[in-house]
Amino acid sequence: MPTLSSERRNVEEQTFIDGVINRRAGRPGALLSILQAVQDHNPHKYLPLDTLRYIATKTQIPFSRVYSVATFYALFNLDPQGNNTICICRGTACHTRGSRNLLQSVRLELKLGLEDPGDTGDGDKVLQTTPDQKFTVRTVACFGQCAMAPVVEVNHRIRGHVNERTLEREIQTIQKESE
Amino acid sequence: MSQKKLSIRIDGELISALEGQTILEAAKANGKYIPTLCALEGLTPVGACRICIVEVSGVGRLLPACTTPIQEGMSVITNSPKLTLYRRISVELLLVERNHVCAVCVSNGHCELQSMATALGISTVRFAYNYPKLPADLSHPRFVLDHNRCILCTRCVRVCAELEGAHVWNITSRGIHARVVSDLNQKWGESASCTNCGKCVQACPTGALAEKGRAVEEMVKKDDSIRSLAHRREVQA
Repeated sequence: MPTLSSERRNVEEQTFIDGVINRRAGRPGALLSILQAVQDHNPHKYLPLDTLRYIATKTQIPFSRVYSVATFYALFNLDPQGNNTICICRGTACHTRGSRNLLQSVRLELKLGLEDPGDTGDGDKVLQTTPDQKFTVRTVACFGQCAMAPVVEVNHRIRGHVNERTLEREIQTIQKESE
Repeated sequence: MSQKKLSIRIDGELISALEGQTILEAAKANGKYIPTLCALEGLTPVGACRICIVEVSGVGRLLPACTTPIQEGMSVITNSPKLTLYRRISVELLLVERNHVCAVCVSNGHCELQSMATALGISTVRFAYNYPKLPADLSHPRFVLDHNRCILCTRCVRVCAELEGAHVWNITSRGIHARVVSDLNQKWGESASCTNCGKCVQACPTGALAEKGRAVEEMVKKDDSIRSLAHRREVQA
């Protein structure tokens, strides 16, 4: 019987994953919903490699397919996420209303720096977490709320007509609350 | 059970083919050539490279021959200035995406991408090169994976999953970030599911997967063994 590696082994987590798999295994497209449920259950909203390995072994889906699915969808995270998520829209409408400046000011505010984290040169696609695990900054292509551009999603609540000042205040409120 | 016969026209010539065949299969069975890159006999077609596009009369857009099933009375054109134009664009974009430096490649002279470019008369590329910084995986004792030469045709993925049954390979991420990975993004040499059969290497159209110890121009692929294996499987099934 495969188990999660010793460090991270957690009986509760393993029983949860087993339950999810038992309920869904065999249905077409089961992998997606399994990954989704397991990620939601994780306190840091991510899928550690050990978990992926465990899911693959349990469902008898090849490792490479599990990894491929988990990396294809932007929904799945392979790294721990911050407690608060700030998601900035980089769609065309939001771009024309200055969402790049918003993104840059958030990254500076949270001291994430403006360097491109990857080596790919598309600095507009961002997924960064502060070292203290408080905030995750990410971008999205479009929320479908273009009339309210620029749009920012703070902890899964959509904010429209955002400017740098309101966003800064929003972050400060969250920081105060968590103190 | 005998399969229904359909008659279609390829380049004006009337041929009969079996129902359920794709345009590419029908053309091949009748000695008509359609250029391909991602298709390999015996593997499921995926329509990834768009080199095999053909004109079908009555259809406004170009269709990939490898995934389009034939229909009664279909009239297909396999070669025209328009098709050459689009095939050329596809190959040029493949060349732009990675670092295809033929002069230092193990597959120089035996590369399907290279010969396709030559056949389409591509001597220069009109678009700006991406020059991505990509690693090569040398961890396997017998084989090498060089991402710089990969065209993401997924032949290695399919041959490993369908013929070998090991399913070591898959594509991770998407768009310009897409890469071939083994298992959970492990080094190939550390992959527990790899059987070291080398089918992926023989199926690879470029020098992305090659045998170790080959110098420039020395890597000649032998994909006929894959073909015959797939054929034998079909006969058994």
